[in-house]
Amino acid sequence: MRRRRAARALLLLVAALYGLFPVYYVTVQSLKTPEEDVFGNPFYVADPTFENYTELFEGDAAPVRGYVIVPHVPFAIWVFNSAIVLAATVSVTLLAGVPAAYALGRLRPPGWVWWRRALLATYVVPHTILFIPIYQLIIRLGLDDSHGALILIYTTMALPFCVWLLSAYYRHLPREIEESALVEGATPPRAFLRVVLPMSRNVLVAAGLFTLGTAANDFMLASIFLLDRHQQTVAAGLGVMDVSLEELVAVAGVNLASIPILILCAFFARGYVRGITAAMVEGA
Amino acid sequence: MAPSLLLVLGVLAYPVAWEVWVSLTDFSSHSTSAAAFVGLANYARLVTDVDFWAALLTTVLYFAVTTAAKLVLGIALALLLARPGRGRALVFLAVFLPWAYPGGVSVIGWYWLLNPPITTSYSTFMGGIKYSVDGALGTGAWAFTSVALFNIWRGSSFAAIFLLAGLNAIPTELFEYAQLETRSAWQRLHAVTLPLLRPYMALAVFLSFTTAFADLANVWMLTGGRVVFPVLGTQAYWLGIKAGRFAEGAARSLSLVPLLVLAVLLLFHWFDRREEEDRAA
Repeated sequence: MRRRRAARALLLLVAALYGLFPVYYVTVQSLKTPEEDVFGNPFYVADPTFENYTELFEGDAAPVRGYVIVPHVPFAIWVFNSAIVLAATVSVTLLAGVPAAYALGRLRPPGWVWWRRALLATYVVPHTILFIPIYQLIIRLGLDDSHGALILIYTTMALPFCVWLLSAYYRHLPREIEESALVEGATPPRAFLRVVLPMSRNVLVAAGLFTLGTAANDFMLASIFLLDRHQQTVAAGLGVMDVSLEELVAVAGVNLASIPILILCAFFARGYVRGITAAMVEGA
Repeated sequence: MAPSLLLVLGVLAYPVAWEVWVSLTDFSSHSTSAAAFVGLANYARLVTDVDFWAALLTTVLYFAVTTAAKLVLGIALALLLARPGRGRALVFLAVFLPWAYPGGVSVIGWYWLLNPPITTSYSTFMGGIKYSVDGALGTGAWAFTSVALFNIWRGSSFAAIFLLAGLNAIPTELFEYAQLETRSAWQRLHAVTLPLLRPYMALAVFLSFTTAFADLANVWMLTGGRVVFPVLGTQAYWLGIKAGRFAEGAARSLSLVPLLVLAVLLLFHWFDRREEEDRAA
């Protein structure tokens, strides 16, 4: 018995290392001076410096490194832009996704099975290959160089799965719940807002977190659709930086920007799992 | 339902239609004349193109390898996390991390680790591994391995959390009953857990599709933007966007469609089966 417990502890440790190591590795590199980056041990940092991090906030004073003048980055603005884009993506996705999911899962218009499947199938459409036509569309909509472009694209990337998840939940939710609310005198929209929506909280968390993860993961689309330096998100801005010169600063930047995302994820992780479970089994 | 459909189909309909139309023309930034309709010529050219078949093979192989690894690792991690124990919450967060952490950076981490810049102290060591792998399996094998490793790392995190949710959905009595009825843990896994998880596994495979066929950003980053080993996605990107041969690029990316449709239908059959029962009832 004791051996089995030890084996389990060991497995847990391996699992934790497996998840943590690359992020640890990146963080270690971002704390290094250029000298240590070249000559030091790759696995730890002997002489940590926050140089790469402070450089992000240096503003107009462009630092000089050797013969190279490093252009300053409006990092604070980028973080702000990222926050706008991510928040808007999550809100738009949920606002558009919840009614769709409710309609598909509960009201069931004719052919709903196929509508639902078609919507999920669009998840496999490769956005990265469709650059050119998507760009044409964005320009036609007058959204080039604006946050709207990214919000629109990210939303279409996350919606298929979110609608699927939410509609699975609404499909399994016992009808009696709304019926009893209606008996109590609530109007149908009110019954939905006051009773059904709060019940699906965990599923909403799951859908929201999925959207956040999907949108935060992208850097390719961001660097293509946002060219104005003051409109860029963190991913876009750092993605186009000269990687060979600036890589440590870039990593420091994203590391820093990922902290709020990671806190959100850690905070909602339980709800995420519960939400997926709830969606797949029953409306409880 | 209307807003979502409008959003998704509206935003995607035009690009997809454009892609289809362009693949039937000779549109390219090299010619000055207007694009002319050439029918299926671009596709016909694909059939005789050795590179295309090689890329198709790599893409399918890439999908198969990463998906299998993601499922195995995902199930293992989910089973590990499903049982209560000390330190579980922390390990749970650590397993969640690869997916939650912005992929654009963790990919750099992997890139430095596996394909270090020449100037680092461990680059000789990693270079040695790279050349022995490439020597044994052919050029590009190491690049394939590094891209696959990253994909597996990030994807198995998602799969593990997803399957953990699936495990939680199974009533505990079922497991207790299985404990009495089966002889070994392996038998239990094979006869009870896996069949119950099947819809979740199918859905996880579906979600891993995109990363294999569509999300070429990882491949792009990890190989430094070079076509070290051909995947259809990078080939299409290279032809269409870097070389300006839009039509050929479009044909190449669309050549995956029959395969995708087949696989999607198959997966729907597995994880969306309850639909049929609903209708019958």
